Amino acid sequence: MEITLNHYLAVAAVFFVIGLMGVIMRRNLLIIYMSLEMMLQAANLTFVAFSRFYSYPESPSRPYFNHIDGQVFVFFVITVAAAEVAVGLALIVALYRLKETTQVQNLTTLKF
Amino acid sequence: MPSPLLVLLLVPLAAIIAIIAGAPAKRTAGIAALLNLVLSLGLLYNYPAAQGGYCYIMDCPWVTLSGVPPIRFHLGVDGISLPLVFLTAIVTFAAIAISPNNIRRSAEYYCYLLLMSLGAMGAFVSLDIFFFFIFHEFALIPTFLLIGIWGTQNRQFASFQVTIYLMAGSLILLAGLIALIMALPAPNRTFDITALQSYIGRHPNVISHQAQDVIFPIVLVGFGILVGLFPFHSWAPPGYASAPPAAAMLHAGVLKKFALYGLIRIGIPMLHDGFTDWLPVILTLLAGNFLYAGFITIAQKELPTMIGFSSIMHMGYLFLGIACWNTIGISGAVLLMVAHGLSAALLFGLSGEITHRAGENRFTELGGLAQRAPLLAVFFSFASMASMGVPGLANFAGELMIFFASFAAVLPFLGPLFTAFAVYGTVITAIFQLRAIKTIFYGPMPARYEPRPAAVLANTRETVPASAGMTDTATLPEYTPYVLLILASLAIGFMPFLLLHIIQPSVSLLPFIPPLR
Amino acid sequence: MDIAWLLLLLPLVATVAILLRFHRDPLNAIIASVGSASLCFIITLLVVFDWVPQPATWNWISFPASGSIPGLTIEVGMIFDPLAKGMLLIVTGVGLLIHIYSIGYMKADPSCGRFFGGLSIFMFSMTGIVISTNLIEMFFFWEGVGLSSYLLIGFWYTRDSAAIAANKAFVCNRLADFGFMLGILLFWKMMGTVSVLPEKLAQCYHQNALPAMHSILGNQAGLHTLFAHEGGHSPVFLTLMVLGLFAGCMGKSAMFPFHVWLPDAMEGPTPVSALIHAATMVAAGVYMLCRVYPLLALSNLGLEFIAFIGCLTAVGAALIAVQQNDIKRILAYSTLSQLGYMVMAVGCGGPAAAMFHLTTHAFYKALLFLAAGSVIHALHEEQDIWKMGGLFKKIPLTAWTFGIGLLALIGCPLLSGFYSKDLILAFAFHTHPLFYWVGSFTAFLTAFYMTRLYVIAFFGPARTPAAEHPHESPSVMTVPLVILATFSVIAGWSIWGYGIKDYYHTWAVNGQDIPLPELPGFYGFVPLVLVVSGVLAAYYLYCDRSTDPLDIRILAQKFYIDDFYDRSLVGGQQHAVNLLSWLDNWVLDGFIIRGAAYVTVGIGEILRLFQTGNLQTYAFLFSLGGAVVIYFALFAH
Repeated sequence: MEITLNHYLAVAAVFFVIGLMGVIMRRNLLIIYMSLEMMLQAANLTFVAFSRFYSYPESPSRPYFNHIDGQVFVFFVITVAAAEVAVGLALIVALYRLKETTQVQNLTTLKF
Repeated sequence: MPSPLLVLLLVPLAAIIAIIAGAPAKRTAGIAALLNLVLSLGLLYNYPAAQGGYCYIMDCPWVTLSGVPPIRFHLGVDGISLPLVFLTAIVTFAAIAISPNNIRRSAEYYCYLLLMSLGAMGAFVSLDIFFFFIFHEFALIPTFLLIGIWGTQNRQFASFQVTIYLMAGSLILLAGLIALIMALPAPNRTFDITALQSYIGRHPNVISHQAQDVIFPIVLVGFGILVGLFPFHSWAPPGYASAPPAAAMLHAGVLKKFALYGLIRIGIPMLHDGFTDWLPVILTLLAGNFLYAGFITIAQKELPTMIGFSSIMHMGYLFLGIACWNTIGISGAVLLMVAHGLSAALLFGLSGEITHRAGENRFTELGGLAQRAPLLAVFFSFASMASMGVPGLANFAGELMIFFASFAAVLPFLGPLFTAFAVYGTVITAIFQLRAIKTIFYGPMPARYEPRPAAVLANTRETVPASAGMTDTATLPEYTPYVLLILASLAIGFMPFLLLHIIQPSVSLLPFIPPLR
Repeated sequence: MDIAWLLLLLPLVATVAILLRFHRDPLNAIIASVGSASLCFIITLLVVFDWVPQPATWNWISFPASGSIPGLTIEVGMIFDPLAKGMLLIVTGVGLLIHIYSIGYMKADPSCGRFFGGLSIFMFSMTGIVISTNLIEMFFFWEGVGLSSYLLIGFWYTRDSAAIAANKAFVCNRLADFGFMLGILLFWKMMGTVSVLPEKLAQCYHQNALPAMHSILGNQAGLHTLFAHEGGHSPVFLTLMVLGLFAGCMGKSAMFPFHVWLPDAMEGPTPVSALIHAATMVAAGVYMLCRVYPLLALSNLGLEFIAFIGCLTAVGAALIAVQQNDIKRILAYSTLSQLGYMVMAVGCGGPAAAMFHLTTHAFYKALLFLAAGSVIHALHEEQDIWKMGGLFKKIPLTAWTFGIGLLALIGCPLLSGFYSKDLILAFAFHTHPLFYWVGSFTAFLTAFYMTRLYVIAFFGPARTPAAEHPHESPSVMTVPLVILATFSVIAGWSIWGYGIKDYYHTWAVNGQDIPLPELPGFYGFVPLVLVVSGVLAAYYLYCDRSTDPLDIRILAQKFYIDDFYDRSLVGGQQHAVNLLSWLDNWVLDGFIIRGAAYVTVGIGEILRLFQTGNLQTYAFLFSLGGAVVIYFALFAH
């Protein structure tokens, strides 16, 4: 069986939905955070897959000279995600010190 | 290619940077304003009036995006904008000069004043719709801060009302301008005012009549809100009443003219069919400015509110002059913009002076101040006479030309009718301005304005400190700004041709102006 | 630079100098002001004898004709025709005398400098009106005299009554100028010019004159001429134009119903009343009518209206004067009445008679006011005639000159008023007998109230301590009185003999002079008889009285016109503006504008209930939204 683009996309979609469910359903901030990372990885997988399967239309003779924009974006996403983790974890720690909890149902002060 | 107009914008910017860096605020701001005033006079003097085209041009690309017309940093002035540049410069100088030395947070205060002036100046010298619009927005924010921080009375409410109302007007205007540009065929879309003007001049019917009938009212309402066209005027009087005098001078005297200038430059030439169809409505709204706002002005019981309403009322003349859309009317309107800018600046400045020195702005409590403050009385009389259109002061020449233009030009029968309303407006102005002079300066004076030595009250043994009584604008720095504005008004009033020979050729180059016979 | 411009420049320079330097320096202010007035008089003499040429004009505003709009060219220039020369002589001559008189009258006032500044700006504006070559130039100075009148009426501004009177004068004039401006605009729209040069006006006249003009009193033309007339403009618009121009005159010359400001204007210092509110400024309206007379002649209806208003003012003001007690107010109503005569003369087709009367009136009315000022001065600011009495012996020079002015005013034969009034009555007689009879009755009333004033103030016993020891004024005040008295005597027959022809040529629009009317024998004697009977009646009624035997409320209350204005116009306006202001504040701003703001706030109040604060609710809603967007983007077509 040849592995096509659709297979990659399906895996990415499954990853994404698992991550989303985690974000919506889990109560612990750290777990939510991990689920968020999983969603980002799903997006990364999509990027790479598209990058692998699409080439510049003007260069059909060189099929491996692929559309590398997707791969470039993956690096951006990883970098930004790393920065985000640094900030986000720091926030969670600060929040824990303040409220002594990481359960989101107890953190509802941001309303009217 | 740099242009002297760039200097006009850089001077306030440099002053702002200097003030932030720690230079003495008022002095720096004053010097910058003075430099600009001298420069604008030089530009007026050097402008080749006979041709009437754009001059001191500077044009460089700014942002180019696909699908959007290129935005260019395009500066230039002609006989219509140059007088307004002069007005901005002189009112800025006066506004800075009348501001108190010891105002709190003075660095910020003078920075905001300079920013307002910069925004107004930028809007008048820009020949690109993007910059034209952005510069005006740029000036609104410091207005908001000036009212909110240094205002009096109900300043929080007033600053929010003014800002939200004006921002809403700007938004409507933006929608109208975008609709206008998108209505052009795609290859000819441009933000460049000169290009638009010549294009419209060559292809007068490029925007369909129906589209114009829809777009014009949007643009009109946008500009109308900014200028205080009836019934969109109610932001102005409370706003001006609470604003610090310098901010009111700059806004009522200069910034408000932006909308009228925009109508002359963009609104009416680009959408002339729509304008013609909506003319009866415009005229009806104008009558609202003359009569409705005029009568309300008579009913006011406080000086700053009265002046705020009167400045709304006088917008009617300017609108009427522009609505004539012929050489006499538009030239008159441009002349009157300058004249009204001077007189409004004078009135707001003096109103602040009176409120400050007498500690009171209600008519019922004031009286007889001419005895203690004769100079103030003379200045206020001059300002009132200018506002009333007494010959010899600048407003008369402008109003006169507008009367002539509208009497002959605007639609048969409606022209004379609305001219009659406008002329009646001068009667209304006389009623409230004279009453203001009478109640503030004439009659017996309350004893509290007399100077008195320190005393000890007989019954309560309390000490009453000595008081200098009501003071006058007696020193050179105090009266210079007023004298300057009055002199400018007198010069234009006696010799309107000084400005007219610059304005007239440029106006005759506008699209759709009736040709010479 | 032509020397003639000095006529305008000198007073202007004096004003500026006083405003800037001399407002606290009476001596220099007097030198500047009186000096400029005397130089102006000298230049006027040069102008009158044609030693100074008419200066070149220069463009003030100039727009070429475009589209359907006529060109607008306003050329500032000077016109030196006989009409202007005569008026210039009056303005600068009488003006100079009053300047000199004021030195004595005002020297004790600490604000003397401001007073002379006002006089100078007045001289500037008034000279400007006289020499104007077009209506806009005239309007410029027209408002200028209004302004100086405002400043001088309110000279004693700490008095509330003076401040109110000044406002009243300005607003009344503004209201009338509203009509004037519309008249000017109509004139320009129809004729394409604002020039009042005689040749231009003659041209307008010939282009528009109807073969047979319609009229309500005389020959009736068919209605068809109202709207259709080949080559010229519709008589309806011509009449509107005439009424508009006349409205200007009604304000400045205080014709009914705009007359209310003039008596109140007596709050100003007496020299001002003499110069501005008797001799020159109030006559400017009449002068303007004479200047544009060829235009007025285009509408018979308009002329009849003018004559009617003039006639009404003449008799109405004279009636009111009969019951007034303030010496200056009597003279003010007398001025109104005489102005009514002049306007009536214009309306009856006799601008020459109007100018003649204007000239003589300027002399004797200025004289009367100055003499009254001398009386007031002598009695320490006492103006009520019932508090005077027996002054004839104590201040003889003032009394004699006042008497001469009085005789000239009531039309004593050989004195100036006699000639001019006779000429007006002759014009009136040939227009319609009504005007003649009302005019004659007014002459009777004039004789009556002036004799009443003289008898009460100058004869009989002194009624107050102040009146027992008056002091004669200094010679700086009495010399102008004597000079004016001389002119009041000689002006009549000298102008009649030498000058009247010049006036006539001014209006020879058809190339021929208007024929000089004469009163038929009997009618010529009627006014004289009435005057004599008026004098006798007043003498017998008021001789040795200490209270007024007549008590006519309606006349003493000025026909209740002022009360009517106060209640209906001023009061009504106040109610209307308060209502409008309330509407603006609560309905427009409160309900609509702030209403919109409150609706926005209310919607926000409702929508914030959806904000639970729970992170996961937001995330769920967010992803739901994303799913919906994706669904519509991909699958819904």
